[in-house]
Amino acid sequence: MTPQPRWIRSIRALFALAVVAILGLSGTLSAQAVSYDPITGTGSTWSQNALDQWRKNVASNYGMTVNYSGVGSSAGRRDFVAGNVDFAVSEIPFQTAPEDGSAPEVPSRGYAYMPIVAGGTSFMYNLKINGSRVSNLRLSGEVITKIFTGVITKWNDPAIQTDNPGLKMPDKGIVPVVRSDGSGSTAQFSLWMSKQYNSLWGQFCVKVGKPASCGLTSQYPTYGNAKAQSGSAGVAGYVSQDYGEGAITYVEYSYALKAGFPVAKVLNNAGYYVEPTANSVAVALLQAKIKTDVPVTSPDYLTQILDGVYNNTDPRTYPLSSYSYMIVPTEVGGVFTAKKGLTLGAFANYMLCEGQQQAAALGYSPLPMNLVLAGFDQIKRVPGADVSGVDINNCNNPTFKAGDSPSSNQLATSALQPAACDKVGTSQCVTGTAGATDDTATTGTGTGGSAATADTAAATAAAAGAGAGAAATTANAAAAGTGGAAAAVYDENGALVSGGTGGTVSTGVAGSAVASPFTLADNGWGAQQSIMLFAGVLLIGSAVLPPVLWRRLKPRAPKAGNK
Amino acid sequence: MPISSLVSPPLGDSPLGDAFGADPAVFDPSSPDSRPRRSLVSRPSISDSVFRSVAFSAGTITVLIMLAVGVFLSLRAGDALGVAGVNFLFEQDWSPETKKFGIASVLFGTITIAVIAMCVAVPLALGTALLISEVAQGRLKATLVTLVDLMAAVPSVVFGLWGVFFLQANVIPVATWISTYFGWIPFFSVTDATGQALTEASAFTSSAFIAGIVVGLMVVPTQTSVMREAFSQAPIGEREAAFALGSTRWGMITSVVLPFGRGGIIGGTMLGLGRALGETIAVYMIISPIFTINWEVLKTGTNSVSALIALRYGESSSFGLSALMAAGLVLFLITLVINFTASSIVARSRSGAESD
Amino acid sequence: MTTTHRTQATDPAASAGPSTLVMTETAVELEADLELQAAFVRHTTNIPSSEGIEIGPRRRMRAARVDDQFNVFGALAAGVAVAVLLFGWFGPLSGYVGFVIVAFIAFIGFYALLVSLKSDWQEVKDRVMSVVLSSAGVLLFGALVFVVAYTLVRGQEALPHLNFFTDSMELAGPLDGLELGGIFHAILGTLMQITMALIVTVPLGILTALFLNEVGGRFARFVRTISDAMTALPSIVAGLFVYSAIIVLITHQRSGFAASMAITVMMLPIVIRASDIVLRLVAGNLREAAYALGSTRWRTVWHVVLPTARPGLATAVILGTARGIGETSPVLLTSGVTAVVNLNPFEGPMISLPLQVFDFVKSPEPNMIARGFGAAAVLILLVLTLFAIARLIGGKGPGDLSRAQQQRVVAASARDLKRITVAADRRERLAATTADAWPPPSAPPTDPSSPAPTIDLSTKEPSS
Repeated sequence: MTPQPRWIRSIRALFALAVVAILGLSGTLSAQAVSYDPITGTGSTWSQNALDQWRKNVASNYGMTVNYSGVGSSAGRRDFVAGNVDFAVSEIPFQTAPEDGSAPEVPSRGYAYMPIVAGGTSFMYNLKINGSRVSNLRLSGEVITKIFTGVITKWNDPAIQTDNPGLKMPDKGIVPVVRSDGSGSTAQFSLWMSKQYNSLWGQFCVKVGKPASCGLTSQYPTYGNAKAQSGSAGVAGYVSQDYGEGAITYVEYSYALKAGFPVAKVLNNAGYYVEPTANSVAVALLQAKIKTDVPVTSPDYLTQILDGVYNNTDPRTYPLSSYSYMIVPTEVGGVFTAKKGLTLGAFANYMLCEGQQQAAALGYSPLPMNLVLAGFDQIKRVPGADVSGVDINNCNNPTFKAGDSPSSNQLATSALQPAACDKVGTSQCVTGTAGATDDTATTGTGTGGSAATADTAAATAAAAGAGAGAAATTANAAAAGTGGAAAAVYDENGALVSGGTGGTVSTGVAGSAVASPFTLADNGWGAQQSIMLFAGVLLIGSAVLPPVLWRRLKPRAPKAGNK
Repeated sequence: MPISSLVSPPLGDSPLGDAFGADPAVFDPSSPDSRPRRSLVSRPSISDSVFRSVAFSAGTITVLIMLAVGVFLSLRAGDALGVAGVNFLFEQDWSPETKKFGIASVLFGTITIAVIAMCVAVPLALGTALLISEVAQGRLKATLVTLVDLMAAVPSVVFGLWGVFFLQANVIPVATWISTYFGWIPFFSVTDATGQALTEASAFTSSAFIAGIVVGLMVVPTQTSVMREAFSQAPIGEREAAFALGSTRWGMITSVVLPFGRGGIIGGTMLGLGRALGETIAVYMIISPIFTINWEVLKTGTNSVSALIALRYGESSSFGLSALMAAGLVLFLITLVINFTASSIVARSRSGAESD
Repeated sequence: MTTTHRTQATDPAASAGPSTLVMTETAVELEADLELQAAFVRHTTNIPSSEGIEIGPRRRMRAARVDDQFNVFGALAAGVAVAVLLFGWFGPLSGYVGFVIVAFIAFIGFYALLVSLKSDWQEVKDRVMSVVLSSAGVLLFGALVFVVAYTLVRGQEALPHLNFFTDSMELAGPLDGLELGGIFHAILGTLMQITMALIVTVPLGILTALFLNEVGGRFARFVRTISDAMTALPSIVAGLFVYSAIIVLITHQRSGFAASMAITVMMLPIVIRASDIVLRLVAGNLREAAYALGSTRWRTVWHVVLPTARPGLATAVILGTARGIGETSPVLLTSGVTAVVNLNPFEGPMISLPLQVFDFVKSPEPNMIARGFGAAAVLILLVLTLFAIARLIGGKGPGDLSRAQQQRVVAASARDLKRITVAADRRERLAATTADAWPPPSAPPTDPSSPAPTIDLSTKEPSS
């Protein structure tokens, strides 16, 4: 193994030189059948993780060189307009009539929007009740909008309590954490809010000094108690710190997964609270529409229509699902050549089919069949692309098999239904979400139940506790304290029932004896402070005074001799 | 660097000795009055004229590059400044989409962070520079000099990561402590909109205080390096005179080294201040940008011009970009004024004057 | 960098002496040898004899007495004890940092008290300030070393993999383990970009600094004002400038060249300013001495100013390099991101280490974050190496000579002496033949064998 890197390196250097040489000759060499010109793209940071992985895969499997730089969607579109790049990735279509009077973004060469990567906007949070972490929070869309527009500011707001009957929500301020940099996550989230809760969002826009019809934005306005952090890593990092207790943020699912933190289940149109797993997003996107009813010359042609996704009535739907586009040129121009079109076509084909296999592992979700078909149509418009391999039946996408149709495919038929305890009502699943695998004991008035889709650990726990047949619930947190059980909450989790709907109330043993930390009531100066100060002065005085006094009291005469 | 190297003339490979010693006939004392009175205006030699013109063109190129940046900034900022007008300096909000944008809060945040950074950095840099040039000896001194230079190269993204993932969590108790006991000083109080004092940890995160500490640590090595260089030039003769008059080392430092090194202290501070004002990535990672003036430095929320540019660049329209350029231009003009003041102070200080 | 010379130079006895134009130890010995013979020669430079002057062991100027040590340790113990009492029992204080601050203040107070028992106010001030200075140093280096150590510790996951240094990320993606992929491309990119930037910055920067100091004039003052002002140019603005001026107008793509230009714009004022400061500090009497000896301006610059300021100039360049190599923001907009080795600075994106770090740590994948810290550690190590090289090349002052240089100096001075004595001898013979026109002022007996020892000397010189 040791000698290997050296020759790999030299080969790589030679390869790089060869690439440079080929570039220098600018395609005058007639290339062989499978040689691909390098292509370069910029754009969305949201999609970067997926593109990085796919770039690597095509490099090792097909020898393609794809450079991708996540500089931001708008910067990517600007680069595409200027013809500096071969493709761009963005969540927002070209702004042909910007509100601020900027020059409209009109690319000189033809372009097409191609869906490439889908994902749900998930809400990662850090919340503790009586010192133990909550991992099963549920929120409705309206509550989420109110939290992120500053209407709801406390965790024990009645609206949140209604969503979470199994939890006794604490009297703690909500710290919404938003992105400080311009980002696709913000754009997707604000698009959802502006479509679904238009009046709330409009009021918020007015509050932060924007027109009421402000629609989607890439820059989340700062307001009230919200903290803004840069990058997904920044917001996820903030929430996962100790000081982030009480914080909630919108971030890619993968960050919550990797940080070991839970995400909120969001209420869908079918009345279920659903976690943004790869499948629930893909199911939602089965209703994604692409605007084709306008002329090809319209700037809205091929843009996404997500209303069907947000209001999807399939119970498995995660409503905040969306996808990002790759903007591909349909004409040669700028740095883009037909030769690069070959690479771009092959790369796009790879992304839509084989690449989607890894989407879930990367924290995204695979594109469902309808979007893949839409993407295929766009590949065929790329000049120089080899369309012979673009075939839905040869597409190794995890959401469908050969012969499936958009209305009936593997995903639609086989995705798991949500657990009964996730339905709106008085029951609440106790199973953890995302990176937080621990269950949460119910502390509220509702009942707990483990989800049908729970992992094996939870299932065995449920089996072990099945004999109890009673949910561990308490009337309120104060009662939990009187249970006298000093053990941690998790130790008591044997008392779980599978899909339990029973309303039996047991005496509280779920409370933990975690004391709330002592905080100074105020910083006023009282007798206590005076005594403390006096004690401190006394301490220092007892150490300092003896030598000083001794020196003072000593006869001065001998000192004269000293220097 | 040894002091001797700069106070003693070079002997090693200086050809001056050769030039005058090689041919004794050049110096002919026997005929002092045989030539007419020599003109005091010398005709520049070829090498001199070449040197002058090369140096002159280097200076010109430098100015051209610098002016290009300035002119370019002004041109690109023109669009935004034309819309905002003089209000640009007084508006706190930043929303180019609605034509309501200004730099007041951003600039305030920038200066807050820089001032905090200087409060952290200057005492540390001054102390360390004196330690290296006056107290440390021998091998320790050489090591410290190298270490300081090395530290100047720690990439700002590393400081940012350290600030976010380590410092922030550990400095919050200090911030809480300060705000609890010194909350009566307006800067140090942390209150919500109604004036109620806040005690939650999350109220102390992402503050100008934390960003200032990180930026301060980042600029210390640069400042130390410049100051140490200046201190080590303090004339030996005067140092010894101070000792000979019975001064203690500290007495010598205050009476000789510090006055002599004043130019270096100011120059180093300004160099650090420049970097603190312009620091991007570390601030970008730490702060929670807000667009209102926040006097409470310990409280969440501040802003900085360069972080604003980095944060907004990727998702800005061309008009938004122009507004960012305008922000950069204002920052640039402010540093120009600060630096101009500083350089006039340096020019009047003793550094570089006759050294004995 | 030999330390003996430095200590010798700071020794008052050595530097205050009349004949201490850098006198190396060997030269001292040699001259003592020669003086006897030279003294016999008439019309020669009289070199004062050091015969009979005993050079004792160097006196230690600051000896630490036992009670000094006691003062330090005693005060330290007292400070910690007070802090423990205040934090543990008396006061409502909490937090490590607060503890350290209180302990330190108590320590300083007790130390001052202890010293004042025996010494006067001046000495108390001196001692306390020494302790404060040392504390500043300890605090600073502690903090900085901690930052670096934090990086190294976080990077240790990635660093043991050899492929991390020899591979690019071309064949590694976010899901791959650390045994795949590396940052070879970013290391190369950084080196190429900083080299290109230095090629422009070093000559331009130092020449401009020379222009400010040696040529002067109204225009020079203008240049100084401009370049001083530019030291604070936000680095991101340098990036924006290059993006709009070079990428948008000329190259139409992000490239290593554009990145190096952005670094140049940022580094140039720093190098100019730092060089300006050290050039100003070159003692004016050195310049005047050179001019007085008839040297031209250029020769003065080349042989006096530049060698004298060399270590300072090296520091200036190092400061600029350090800033340029570690700054992310100028390359953020100009260099582009790539995962492959790109050796062509004019074509295609070329990533550098800081940008690669920034890019890595944005990822949710723990492996990528580990790579990010690993890359940061490599960046620090790379800079360390560059510093070592820079110090080797330019870090030594003109008085600090290597062994070989010392020998050359000794040989040169011996040659000078020989030349002087030979010239004197020739003059003397001339005087002897042209009658006794000018009788010698003092009358040391003419030694006919005076040339002999100088010849001996030249044969002896390699062995010295």
